[in-house]
Amino acid sequence: MNTSLAEPLTTPPDANLDTDSRVPGNSGIWVGIFCVLVEFLMLFTVYFVAKAHHPEAFQGGPDKLATVAGVTITMLLLTSGYCMVKAVAAVRQDASTRAFRWILLAILLGCGYPLVKYFEIRWNITHGVDGQAGIFYTVYYYLTLTHLVHVFWGLLGLSWVAIRTNRGIYSSEEYGGLEAAAVYWHTTDVIWLVIFPFFYVLR
Amino acid sequence: MGHAEKIWLLLIGLTLAGAWFAETGHPGWPLTLLVAGLIAFKGRMVIDQYMEMTRANAHIRHVLYAFVFIIPLLVIFSHGWGDLVRRLTTLNG
Repeated sequence: MNTSLAEPLTTPPDANLDTDSRVPGNSGIWVGIFCVLVEFLMLFTVYFVAKAHHPEAFQGGPDKLATVAGVTITMLLLTSGYCMVKAVAAVRQDASTRAFRWILLAILLGCGYPLVKYFEIRWNITHGVDGQAGIFYTVYYYLTLTHLVHVFWGLLGLSWVAIRTNRGIYSSEEYGGLEAAAVYWHTTDVIWLVIFPFFYVLR
Repeated sequence: MGHAEKIWLLLIGLTLAGAWFAETGHPGWPLTLLVAGLIAFKGRMVIDQYMEMTRANAHIRHVLYAFVFIIPLLVIFSHGWGDLVRRLTTLNG
């Protein structure tokens, strides 16, 4: 890995503390995140088992999906995640107004996901790709819609911290709630980075 | 351009490159290995850079690392040893 890429993006105020004990956000959010990771690990296992039993369906499956929709969702989520990085960096500098704007932008981009998904599903159905079009598409709908539900939770969390940031509740001394929402949001990123190649790239 | 912007551009660039590689028709092992590598690398970048896990609790960090390490291994395993996975997950009787 390039050395410059290994550098931290921002410097938290408690950077001098024992980093191995620092819990970003709060402990509660990590319990939730680990539950989500276990849930998706199980769903990915279903994907692998279904693929092993129906290799031809999974080889041709992505051809009927709109790759541009998957790419657009990936770009929206990655860019929204970047906005949350900037929001956390801003609040560490006690720049609440700037942090609020970054969070709003993150929410706006995040809302693009269900919008793209809506048009993608309409396009799918027009082209005969519904939940009964085959095992590949059954797994595709189940996994992607489950992910969409988690994105809704994330958007609700971001909306909550946006309101609190706008009210000046977070500061460079206390921003655990904002950071918790951010790490959850990034987790949905990580999971999508697995889902995207499974259904739109891998053949 | 700041460090955060470079990371963002890298992630976007890798996403587009992966999609292009798939669309131009490279099925089989090349695509499987590329996808496995991209999941591991991009996942690690988000964990390290966006979530700042390099400076966080080691237990949390290791769980996240394991997640983006195990899945690429499963991608490779399911491609190379699909018959074995099918046999292991078939109920007889």
